[in-house]
Amino acid sequence: MFRPEAMSRALLVGPRDKLAPTIEALHELRLLHIVEHHEGEAGFSIGKPLPHAAELSDSLVKLRSIAAILAVEKSAGTEQERLRLQELRARVLALELNISEEDSTRKKTQALLADLTRRIEELRPFAALGLPLDAYRGYENVTVLIGRVARDVVGFEEAVPRGELFQASGVAAAFVPTRDADSASGFLGKFGFAPVGVPAEGGDPKALLDASVADEEKWRARLKDVEGRLAKLRERYAGFVVAAEEALEVEVEKAEAPLRFAVSEHSFVIDGWVPAALHSKLASRLSALGVFVESSEPEAGHGHGAEPPVLLKNPRPAKPFEFLIHLYSTPSYHELDPTVFILVAFPFFFGFMIGDAGYGALFVLIGVLAFRKLPKTSDLRNLLIVIALGGFWALVFGLFLYGEMFGMPFHLAPQAHPEELAWDKFGLNYPLTALIHKEFGLADMMYLSILFAFLHLGTSFIIGIVNNVRHSKKHALAKLGWFLCLFGLFTILTRTLSWTGTANWVYSKILSGMLDPVGVLPILGYGIPTISLGLVLAAFLGFGESPVAPLEIGGLVANMISYARLAGIGIGKAAIATAFNTLILTNLVIEHDVLSAGLGFVLLVFAQLLVFALGGISAGIQGLRLNYVESFTKFFKGNGIRFVPFGTRKPQEA
Amino acid sequence: MAIEPIAAIAAALAITGTGLATAWAEKVVGGATVGAMAEKPELFTRGLVLMVLPETIVLFGLIIAIQLVAAAVT
Repeated sequence: MFRPEAMSRALLVGPRDKLAPTIEALHELRLLHIVEHHEGEAGFSIGKPLPHAAELSDSLVKLRSIAAILAVEKSAGTEQERLRLQELRARVLALELNISEEDSTRKKTQALLADLTRRIEELRPFAALGLPLDAYRGYENVTVLIGRVARDVVGFEEAVPRGELFQASGVAAAFVPTRDADSASGFLGKFGFAPVGVPAEGGDPKALLDASVADEEKWRARLKDVEGRLAKLRERYAGFVVAAEEALEVEVEKAEAPLRFAVSEHSFVIDGWVPAALHSKLASRLSALGVFVESSEPEAGHGHGAEPPVLLKNPRPAKPFEFLIHLYSTPSYHELDPTVFILVAFPFFFGFMIGDAGYGALFVLIGVLAFRKLPKTSDLRNLLIVIALGGFWALVFGLFLYGEMFGMPFHLAPQAHPEELAWDKFGLNYPLTALIHKEFGLADMMYLSILFAFLHLGTSFIIGIVNNVRHSKKHALAKLGWFLCLFGLFTILTRTLSWTGTANWVYSKILSGMLDPVGVLPILGYGIPTISLGLVLAAFLGFGESPVAPLEIGGLVANMISYARLAGIGIGKAAIATAFNTLILTNLVIEHDVLSAGLGFVLLVFAQLLVFALGGISAGIQGLRLNYVESFTKFFKGNGIRFVPFGTRKPQEA
Repeated sequence: MAIEPIAAIAAALAITGTGLATAWAEKVVGGATVGAMAEKPELFTRGLVLMVLPETIVLFGLIIAIQLVAAAVT
C-alpha cells in the first residue's frame, strides 16, 4: 500500500527462430516492461523488424489516411467488426482506391467552387453598374476609377467638373481626364473608395455574372453528391476502419518489437522488468517455448544500477487517486507511495472548503453517476470519484460543523441579524446546531486551517524522514529538524490565537502541560513559550544539508499561513451563496406573486449552479495545490519510470 | 459594531494591492505555461503548480486585512 509493486529483473535468452512466438507470448501476457537495448555490446546488435513489418506499416498509414478522409473517430460507440489479418491488406487497398478517387473529386470541386465564388464577387460590382466591360478601357486621356465606396458619393460634379460618375449601391465608376485623376481619387477617398480591377474579358457583365452563378449552382450540387457518397462510405466502413486500425497498431507493435531487443546471429536477448510476484508465470510460459529466463533482484537504494519501473500498488478504493500522483510525477521505486496520503488529505481539504451539505450531496451524486456510467480507464471518471469523496466530507462538515445547506444555515447564529434567512424559517427543523457559523467563526476557521497545516506538513516531514533514513542519515536528520521546527511554530501560533475557542481548547487540553512549566518569554508583546522557541531553532539541524537551510524558517511560516486559504475560500464561497440567496429570495420570491416567484426560482437555480461550479473548481485546485506545493515538496522526489508492460495499448494523449 | 474608517481603507488597500500583484504574476506565469504546454503537454502539472504559487500573495493580503479589521472593531 505504501510501496510500489516489487519488481524483478528478467533476462530472456532464446534461439532466433523462437523470436516471433516469444513476442506473441509476451504480448499476450502483458507482464514484461522492456528495457530497450542500445548498440555497443560485443556480438549483439539491435534486432530487425519481423519480415512483414513494412507491409503492415504501409497498410496502417493507408488506413489512417482513409480514416482522416472519412472523418472517422475512435469512440466507444462505433460498432467494430471482427476481422482476419490475412484479408485485411486486400480490403484496405480496395477501400483506398475507392476513397482516394472520391476524395480527389471532392478536392477538385472545392477548388473550382472557390474560383467561381471569387469570380462572382469580382463581377458583381460591374453587373450593378451596367456598363459593358469594354467601356472601362482603351482611353488615352481619360482615367477610369472603379471601386467600392462605403456610402453614396455626392457633389462629384462640383469637385471634378469635367468628369462623369456612374454609381450603383456600394460601387462607383468615375471617368475623369487623366490630369484630374489625382484630385478625383482624393475626393472619392472621402467616401471610403477602395479600387477594384476590371475583369480581363469583354461583354455584358450581367450575362457573365448569370453564367457564373449558374455554374456555381451546378458544381455545388456535384459537391453535395460526392459528399453524400463519402458519407455513405463512412457509414458502411467506419466499423471496419476503427477495428482494422486497432488490429494493425497491435500487429505493427509486435512486428517492430525486435528493434528493442538485442540480437546476435543465432540468438536474441530481451531485457526487462516483471512484477516479482508474477515472475514464475512468465518463466513457465516462456520455458515451454524453449526460451531461457534469468532473473535478479533490483539493487537497493538510489543511483545503483538501473532504476526499476514503478507500478503503484494500492487497494481498489485508492486507485482513482493514483492519477493525481502521476499528474505530479511518478514516484521513484525507492520512495513511499503517497497515494494513501493524498487520499486522506485532498478530499478532507476539499470538504472543509465547500463545507455545505447541499453541494456535498450534489458532488457525491455526480461521482456515483460517473462511477456507473463512464468507462473505467477514463481520467474524468477518476477525477469525479476523487471529488465525490471530497463531496462526502463536505456533506459531513455541512451537517455537523457548519450546519449549512446551499449557502443557507439551518438555524441562524445568535449574533446574526434577525431578518437573515435560515432553513428553519421555511419549516425545516434540523436537530443539530452549528458548531461554527461561517459568518462569525472566521478566527476559528483560521485556527483550524493552521491546525490542518501542522497535521499535513507534519505528516509530510515524517514521510520525508522515512524516505531518507535508509540511505542518508544527514537528510533524515534535517527532515526531523524541520518537523520539530514546524511543531514549535504551531505551538506559538496556537498560544497566540488562544483567544479563539478552538485554539484555546487545543492549547489548554494538549499543549499547556508540555509548554507552560518551562516558562514563557515576552517577545514583541507576544508571549512565546521557551520550549517552542527551542523547537523552532531545531531547524538548524538542517545546517549539514545546506548552510542556508535555517533561513527557510520564514518559508515554513509562509507555508503554514498558506493553509489559511482553506478558511478564506470556505467563507468566500458561502458569502457568495448567501448574497445570491438573500437578493433573489427577498426581492423576487417571498411575499411576491407567482410570476416573479417563478422567475426567482429559475434565477436561483442558475445562481446556485454558478456557486457550485466555481466552488468545485476553486476548492479542487486549491486542495490540489496544498498537496503539490506545500506538502509534496517536503518529501516527494518522483521522476520514476511508469511500468508499461509490452502489450498494453499506449494511453491516448489528452 | 463599527469599524474605524481608516482601518477599513487600509484593509481594502491590502487586499487590492496583493490582489493585483497576484493577478499580474499569474498572468505572466499562466501565459508562459500555456505556451510551454503547446510544445510539451506533459508540463501541465508543473505549470499548474507554478501558476498557483503567487496566490499566496493575496492570502497574505487577506490575513493582514482580517487582522486590521479585527483590531479596529470598536
